[in-house]
Amino acid sequence: MTTEPKIWNTLERDYRERLEAARPYVMDGKVVEAGDTVKLLEAVVRPGDKVNIEGDNQKQADFLAQCLCEVDTDKVHDLHMVQSVLSIPAHLDIFDKGIAKKVDFSFSGPQAGRLAEYVRDGKIELGAIHTYLELYGRYFVDLTPRVALCVGVSADKNGNIYTGFNTEDTPVIAEAVKFRQGIVIVQVNEIVDEVPRVDIPGDWVDFVIQAPRPFYIEPLFTRDPALITDSQILRAMMVIKGIYGEYGIQRLNHGIGFDTAAIELLLPTYGEELGLKGKICSYFVTNPHPTLIPAIESGWVKSMHCFGGEAGMAEYVQARSDVFFIGPDGSMRSNRDFAQTAGHYALDLFIGGTLQIDKYGNSSTATASRIAGFGGAPNMGCDAKGRRHATPGWMKCGEEYGMHDELVGDLPRGKRLVVQLQETFREKMAPGFVDKLDAVALAENAGLDLPPVMIYSDDLTHVVTEEGIAYLHKCTSMADRMAAIRAVAGFTEVGMAEDPAETASLRERGIFKTPADLGIDVRRANRDLLAAKSVKDLVNWSGGLYNPPAKFRNW
Amino acid sequence: MALRELNFTFTPEDPRPFPLGWSHRGVVGSGDMEVMFEQADLGGQVQVKVCTPVVGFDEVWERVLDRCIKESQVSDVSIEINDNNATPVVVAMRMRQAIEEARKEAE
Amino acid sequence: MSDWKSLEAKSFYGASARERAIGIVDEGTFTELAGPQNRMSSPHLPVLGEAVEWDDGCVTGVGLIGKHPVFVISQEGRFIGGAVGEVHGAKMVGAFVLARQMYDRIKEEHPDELAERLPAVVISFETGGVRLHEANAGLLAHAEVMDQIQESKGKFPVISLIGSKVGCFGGMGFVAAATDVIVMSDLGRLGLTGPEVIEQEMGKDEFDSADRSLVYRTTGGKHKYIMRDANYLVEDTLGDFHDQLTAIMDAPYDEIVKCRRIGSEELVDEQLALAELSVEMAPKDARDVWAYFGNEDVDQIPEMTTAEFLAVAKRR
Repeated sequence: MTTEPKIWNTLERDYRERLEAARPYVMDGKVVEAGDTVKLLEAVVRPGDKVNIEGDNQKQADFLAQCLCEVDTDKVHDLHMVQSVLSIPAHLDIFDKGIAKKVDFSFSGPQAGRLAEYVRDGKIELGAIHTYLELYGRYFVDLTPRVALCVGVSADKNGNIYTGFNTEDTPVIAEAVKFRQGIVIVQVNEIVDEVPRVDIPGDWVDFVIQAPRPFYIEPLFTRDPALITDSQILRAMMVIKGIYGEYGIQRLNHGIGFDTAAIELLLPTYGEELGLKGKICSYFVTNPHPTLIPAIESGWVKSMHCFGGEAGMAEYVQARSDVFFIGPDGSMRSNRDFAQTAGHYALDLFIGGTLQIDKYGNSSTATASRIAGFGGAPNMGCDAKGRRHATPGWMKCGEEYGMHDELVGDLPRGKRLVVQLQETFREKMAPGFVDKLDAVALAENAGLDLPPVMIYSDDLTHVVTEEGIAYLHKCTSMADRMAAIRAVAGFTEVGMAEDPAETASLRERGIFKTPADLGIDVRRANRDLLAAKSVKDLVNWSGGLYNPPAKFRNW
Repeated sequence: MALRELNFTFTPEDPRPFPLGWSHRGVVGSGDMEVMFEQADLGGQVQVKVCTPVVGFDEVWERVLDRCIKESQVSDVSIEINDNNATPVVVAMRMRQAIEEARKEAE
Repeated sequence: MSDWKSLEAKSFYGASARERAIGIVDEGTFTELAGPQNRMSSPHLPVLGEAVEWDDGCVTGVGLIGKHPVFVISQEGRFIGGAVGEVHGAKMVGAFVLARQMYDRIKEEHPDELAERLPAVVISFETGGVRLHEANAGLLAHAEVMDQIQESKGKFPVISLIGSKVGCFGGMGFVAAATDVIVMSDLGRLGLTGPEVIEQEMGKDEFDSADRSLVYRTTGGKHKYIMRDANYLVEDTLGDFHDQLTAIMDAPYDEIVKCRRIGSEELVDEQLALAELSVEMAPKDARDVWAYFGNEDVDQIPEMTTAEFLAVAKRR
C-alpha cells in the first residue's frame, strides 16, 4: 500500500503563497504605499484567519485597524481576532461589518459597553477574557495569529523597526507570529534610511507602511495633581505609614489612578518626614507616571522598568538613564511582556484601585453592562505561587499570614502584598463595597463561563479606605475576613452590618487599624501635602523635560 | 423631583455646647456640601436639617451625623446642610473640620 | 477659614469665592452682605431637584483698599459653574447700588477727599454666564448689570478680576469687556462662547475643546494681555491681585478709565480695525497673531513664567 508522503511545511507553503499574492503592492524592499494597504490586507489575510491588531491601553496600530475595516467582505471574513485590547472604534467596526466573528482579548476600556452589546446580539463570539501574560502565553500555544498588524515609530526599507519608548507588545507578537511562518505588517510614522535602534529585526517583518498620520497613543497614566482630593490624600498617608513603612516595601507596582498618584506625590513630603527615604519604594515596575517625577527628582527611585511609554515623558526618561531602561541609542525601551513577568515574580507589593469589593474581599471593575476585561492587574494582584526568593516585606507578610499553619504547616513561606484602595462611596453615592459583584450579573447577561474577577479574596492582603486599613491576611477564617471588610466598608450596606464589638476585637488583634491607631492626624490630609499641585508643577520639577500632552496643559 | 428636606434630632451623652454664635463652611460643589452651625438653646440636644437631591440614603445620613455628634459631643446647636451628592466621607470631613475650627477659634 | 496673611499667598486660581472676596481687600476689612446666614438661595432650583447654596454662588460685601470702600462681587465656579441666576444677579446689582449710594455720600460728606475715598466695584468673575435653570431671570440679570456699569460711568471705577478655574465666559464675557479695567493671571480665561460650545457648533477640526493648550492660547491671560483685552497680567496669588487693585485705586479716576476697551467712538473704530485685521490675516492660531504684533519665539510664550513673559511681551 502506498501513501502520499506527509507534508510537514504547509504553513511555510501557505506563507509563500500569501507573499506572492502581495507582490504587486510591494515597492522598494518591504515598503508598501499607504494607499495600497487595503489591497495588501485583502491579499494576505484569508477567511477564518486568526489576526492580531496590535494595540494596548497605550499605543494603537490605528491606521492598519482602519484599513482592515475597509476590506471586501467577500474576500476577508470570519476572522478570529486575537489581541490585547478592543479600545478604538475600528476594533469593533470589523465585527459590525462581518469581517471578524470571534475574539480572544484582554482589555476593552472605552469599548466595553459596545462589546457587551455585540456579544448579547450575537455579533461577536467571545472566546475568553485574559490577563496580558495569559494571552501572550496562548500566542505560543493555541492562539498564534496568522497575521499581525503591528505599529512602530520608524522603519527602514528592509523592515527593521524602531518602536521608540513605546515598545510595549510588539516583540512578543512579532516573535509568536513570525516563528510560525505568519505575516507581520507594521505601520510606522516614517520610513527612514537608518533606524536609531533595531527593536524588531527586519527579517521578522514582511511589510512596512508609512501611515498618513502618527499612530494614536492614549496618555492613560497621566493624572492631573489638581484633581486629587483630601480623601485620596488620607488613604495615601495610611498606605505610606501603615503598609509601605510597616513592611519596608522596596519593590512595587502602582496601578493606575488618582489614589496611587496621591501616594507618589506624598513620598517627597510625608514619606520624607517619616524618614522612609531609601527604606521604601526604591524599585518600581510601572509606567513612567508623570506624578512620579517629584519622587524621582528627590532621589527616591533607584530603578524603574516600564510596560510602555507615556505621552510627554520621553525626554525626561531619556535624561534619567540611571533610573530607566535605556538603549544604546539613548532612548528607553519598554516591554509589556517582561514588565508583566517582573510584576508577577519580582515585586513585593501591588497596589491599585477598584470599582467594587464584595463582602468576601473579591474585587472587580466590571459592571453589569460593560465587558471591561483585565489588562495586567491580575498578574500583579496575586500571590505568585512559583516565587522562591525572599525579601523582608514578603517574608513579614508570610509570617503574619493567618491561614499559613493550616495550609503549609510549620515551614516558612512569604506572601505578596496585594493592596486595594477603595473609596467607600464614589460619585453619585455608588457603593465601593457590595453584597454581590456586578461581575456576576455580567457573566449571566453575556453568557461568560466565569465572572470577571480582577483580584480574588484569597490573594487580597490589605484593603485601605478612609475608615482605616484591614490587614486581611492576618485573618484566620473567612468569618474573620468578612468582619474585617465590614470594618473598613464605612456606611455602605456591607459596612452597616458591622458589629462594633467585633470591630473592637479586630483592632486589638491588629487586623483593623484606624487612622488614629496608625498615628495619623486626619486634619493634615489636605492638598498642602502634595509635592506637586498641578501639571505645571510637574513640569517645573522635571526642569522642563516633561512635555505634557495638550489636553493636560492649562497654559 | 423636588429637593428633599430631612430632619434629625440627636442627644449627646456628654454635651459640649457649640462655642460660637454661628459658623459656616463649605461650597455646594458637585459631591460637596455647605454647613451652617448656629447656637441654639436646645437643652443639650442637636437639631439637623439636611437639604438634598439624593433619594434613598436617609438612614445613611442619620448614621453619619450620629457618628459625627458622638465623636464631638457637640450640643445646643442647630445645624443646616445644603448637600449636592456629598459622600459620607465628605460629610464627616466637613462636619469635623467645622467643629474643630469653631472650637479652636473660640479658645 | 485661613487667616488673611496666609490667604495672600494662596493661589487665586484655586481659591473659593469667599476666600477671594476676603483676600483682595485690605486685611480684616471685608464684611459680607447678604451672606449665608441670610439664606438668599435660589427659589427656582428646589422645584427642579437641584442643590441650592445660601449665597446662590455669589459672595457680595464691602471692604477697604486704603481709604477706598470697595464693593466686592465674587462668583463661585464650583456651584453650578458660577452660572448667573435670579438671586445671584440681584446680588451683583445690589453691590452696584450700594457703591453708588456710597459715592453720593462721600461726595457730600468729604468733598475734598473724594479722590482718595473714591469707591469701586470689583468683580471676581468665575462663570459661564446665564444659569440655564432660570434662564430668563439670568438674562435679565446680565442686562441689569450692564445698566449698572453705565450708571457708574463718570463716578467710580468698575474692575474685573479673572483668574479662576471656570474662567469668564458667556454673557459675563460681555459684562467683563464693558468694565473699566480687566486684571488677569495667565491661568485666567476670558471669552464669549465657551470652548465646548464652539466645538459643538463648529466641529472638532475648528476647535478641539479637549486641547487645553489651544483653549489657553485663544482665551488665556497671556493672549488677552497681548491683545490689550486685559490691562494687567499678574501672578496667580490673591496677594498679587490685591496689590494690583491697590495700584489701580491709587491712580486718578481719569487715568483708570483709559483702560476701557469700549465706550467711545475711537475705541469702536479700534475694535472694528481689529475685526478687519483678523479677516485680512486669517490667523490659524493665536501664535500667528502674537507673531504679527512683533513677538519672537511664539512657541515659547505659553511656557514662560508671568515675569518672563511680561519682560518680553509685545502688545497690540
